[in-house]
Amino acid sequence: MTATLAASLPDAVDGRSTFVALAARELRRFVVNPVLLFAVVMSLWTASSDQAEVVLNFAVSPYPAIFLGGFGMMATYWLTRSMRNSEPVVGVTPISEPVRTAALCVVAIVPLLCGCVCLIMSLHFYPIGSPVYGDFSEPTQVAILVGQMVIPTLGGPLLGVALGRWVGFPGAAVVLFLLIFGWVNLATWPSLTRPDSAPAAALRLFSPFAYWSFAKNRVDLMTWRGSPWFFLGWQLALCAIAVLVALLRGADGPVRPRIGRALWVALLVAGILFVLANAIGVTHTVGA
Amino acid sequence: MMILPVLRAGEWPAVAGLSVVAVVVGGSGVAVPATATVLLTIAFTLLATAAAFALDEPASQVVDVTPTGPVRRTGIRALALLAPVTAGTVLMLAGAQRGLALPWAATGLALGGNVMLGFAVACVARTRTGEPGGPVSGAVALILMAPMILPFVGSRVSTFPASDRTGLSSSTLWWTVLALCITAVAMSVTGRLLPRRPRPR
Repeated sequence: MTATLAASLPDAVDGRSTFVALAARELRRFVVNPVLLFAVVMSLWTASSDQAEVVLNFAVSPYPAIFLGGFGMMATYWLTRSMRNSEPVVGVTPISEPVRTAALCVVAIVPLLCGCVCLIMSLHFYPIGSPVYGDFSEPTQVAILVGQMVIPTLGGPLLGVALGRWVGFPGAAVVLFLLIFGWVNLATWPSLTRPDSAPAAALRLFSPFAYWSFAKNRVDLMTWRGSPWFFLGWQLALCAIAVLVALLRGADGPVRPRIGRALWVALLVAGILFVLANAIGVTHTVGA
Repeated sequence: MMILPVLRAGEWPAVAGLSVVAVVVGGSGVAVPATATVLLTIAFTLLATAAAFALDEPASQVVDVTPTGPVRRTGIRALALLAPVTAGTVLMLAGAQRGLALPWAATGLALGGNVMLGFAVACVARTRTGEPGGPVSGAVALILMAPMILPFVGSRVSTFPASDRTGLSSSTLWWTVLALCITAVAMSVTGRLLPRRPRPR
């Protein structure tokens, strides 16, 4: 037994150092991706200028989610797929596919950090407590801002890795970006016409990104029902699902059932958080 | 005689699949008229990405040295554009049936322009690579979505005809794009955009 422990310790250290080296390599490849660079520049530019003219109707800027989340998803999708042609060579190395996938998931930290920077920069124009956020309490405003400006910048790139691992179609990331963009627009519309309706709220929240208020003519601010805190949990659960789905590809042996079980748990947690986001929290209000 | 084999080798699942997705997205816009402008713009963008896959040729290294020239090959493959054009026409007919207040002539022009843009960029890229669909669809989608995503572009250019838009009208834009696309397609199929090959010594 002593011999086994002695052998496994250097193995674990080796595994960790391999993972760190892989993650560092993927990070280096990711940060020079032109799509990511464009997304970072556009996000920082929109966050550093007052976008009230365009987005005040919804109080919070959707640009970090669009650029760092959406474009970040395309960048990680292409990063993941870029190794596809080398698979016959890479596939015979001693590093398993889930480890390589986990190293790819680490790159999502770059858009996440940029999302945090965007949030801090945007607070310069609309600080917490500003009337543009409506009747939400200050902690809830923080939850809304984090859910709209930070978490999508993590989830988008993770979704890109999962998509790259499972889908071979080269235009998949672009199509998914267009579908999510269209879905958010479509799902928000019923809340505009029926803000008290529970199905309308459920439709709006069944999305990786949701709006919480709308200012008609930028005067009458309407807040929508739901719990921004539980919605934040739902978003994080979606991130976990994306990681687990990505890791499931190529996993074999005892790892596969473990990832499978974790995926079921994540799906269950996501379901519970989604129900709570709908059932608990603020109700619809109309203020001036 | 050559038509069927050339057509059979095309990337039909991508062209047809994207056209079907576009019908679903655009159909949602027709069903919910308040979101029609946004969803039809996305649907037309999807149709442009479908057109970008029309020229994909996995066996390009073999096909490119056969006696069938690029003009004939491109002409035959252009038949694949019938899928996105039909999908767009179905959406427009459904919109008209539902009573959407859209300028239909300008919308038809936008549909033709979107599809032609995807195809023309694919034609140009086909002179460099056998499977231009993937990168071209991404580039075309980002270009077409730019007015919706980027506020400073949206205030200057419209890619979809709608009454509340400012700046350059979509019809002016699409007539210009169509002219440029026809020129680009003509130049690419006649071999003027092919890379220079080194002369044998």
